[in-house]
Amino acid sequence: MLSLKNVVTCYGTIKALKGISMEIAEGEIVALIGANGAGKTTTLKTISGLLTPTEGEIIFDGVDITRRQPEDIVKMGISHVPEGRRVFSRMTVMENLELGAYSRQGRGSGRKQIQEDLDKVFSLFPKLKERQKQPAGTLSGGEQQMLAMGRALMSRPKMLLLDEPSMGLAPMIVKDVFRIIQEINRAGTTVLLVEQNAHLALNTASRAYVLETGKVVLQGGSQELLKNDQVRQAYLGE
Amino acid sequence: MLQQVVNGLTLGSSYALIALGYTMVYGVLRLINFAHGEIYMAGAFIGLMASQVAGLPFAVAMLTAMAGAAVVGVIVERIAYRPLRKAPRLAVLISAIGMSIFLRNLALALMGPQTRAFPIPFEVKQLHVGKLRISSFDVLILLTSVGLMIGLHFLVQKTKIGKAMRAVAEDKETASLMGISVNRIIAFTFAIGSALAAAAGVLIGMNFNAVDPSMGMMPGLKGFTAAVLGGVGSIPGAMLGGLLLGMAEVMGVALLRSEWRDAIAFGILALVLLVKPSGILGRNLQEKV
Repeated sequence: MLSLKNVVTCYGTIKALKGISMEIAEGEIVALIGANGAGKTTTLKTISGLLTPTEGEIIFDGVDITRRQPEDIVKMGISHVPEGRRVFSRMTVMENLELGAYSRQGRGSGRKQIQEDLDKVFSLFPKLKERQKQPAGTLSGGEQQMLAMGRALMSRPKMLLLDEPSMGLAPMIVKDVFRIIQEINRAGTTVLLVEQNAHLALNTASRAYVLETGKVVLQGGSQELLKNDQVRQAYLGE
Repeated sequence: MLQQVVNGLTLGSSYALIALGYTMVYGVLRLINFAHGEIYMAGAFIGLMASQVAGLPFAVAMLTAMAGAAVVGVIVERIAYRPLRKAPRLAVLISAIGMSIFLRNLALALMGPQTRAFPIPFEVKQLHVGKLRISSFDVLILLTSVGLMIGLHFLVQKTKIGKAMRAVAEDKETASLMGISVNRIIAFTFAIGSALAAAAGVLIGMNFNAVDPSMGMMPGLKGFTAAVLGGVGSIPGAMLGGLLLGMAEVMGVALLRSEWRDAIAFGILALVLLVKPSGILGRNLQEKV
């Protein structure tokens, strides 16, 4: 569904991604793990178009999206939940969700379909329904994460890019969030998950790529990686 | 005294219209568009041409001025600001000042330096309410300004494009992830702000019966002052700041002498910057992480 071939992305003159290749099939949950600065967030930003690669190509659903703008990429079905959630804090929960549906055009952008999707989001995240009139900035961290995910779902994505969904959240909330991620995946959305917490990532995803300073150093099934000595030492703290 | 309130409201509502353009552009670009006063001037000229040369009725001339100024605003953004989106702030500021000088001189070259009279399209009546004198100009200025501000409020709060504007003002990168074309929204913001300035230009040009190439300078600075007073970036702030500034000027002139008018306005600017730089309704930028 999504493939990256030798993607190189730079910040100024510094290469943050030094030729990354990966394949994600429809219906999978794939995790990207690695230390700070390994290039995980950069990879997601390059896929969603916030950063433009200098080399390589990115193909989504058979279409080359390498140099497309982010607003076009979301229309094609990739929705990015950014690191730190980035909800529109001065706007209400409802307005945030409506903005999530901004990219929908033509069929599927009618009031009725949007209401249907709102109902779906509210059934995944009942808290958001209670707080729909509240400014998003007044929500707790966990609620903001849920809003950011709900907002991303409002574009009816085929694929969801999640950047550090557990960051700064209490363990109980993290459990909730990850249960919902699996639920979203079961409902048919492919997920690419960036997660600092390797345990959590490998227990959620079926496969993973391990990044180190802008390169893929390891890849494989989650169970396999959980048993890998290198991974256990570097990322699982064992 | 009540008479001064009417005068203050009239003056203030035209400042508010100008201030809105500054504040909206600041909201999406964090930039003070110093060419805004010249867009106001351009609006006045387009309105003048539309009613004098083309002989259009007042309402149509007004709409023509607003549409024309919107186009000028979008062009200014496209050539003077968009190429500098990632440049240092100082470069953009210099570009803005350059644009302001360019537009003023363009008007000078095209229209000549003389002050032109604005043909009054209707009979001016004086309304007497007790001791109060209200001219049809006052009524026209107040009604038009209030109508435009209500329209703007509706646009920004209730429509899809208004929500996109607020999203862009808060976080451009995330707005683009929603599928919002940030450049298109910025251009739209310039168009709206410029149209409001043009409305003010036509109203004031008519009220003082004077349109000339340098007419944008002072109202431009006053509109900027009003925007800062209310809290730059805040739309209700610009409305409030405009009214307060107009009121303060009129009251000050009534109590002191008319030469003090500008000193009062810029005295207020200096005071606000010293005491509360974020303005009356401005928020201190703090975000929950």
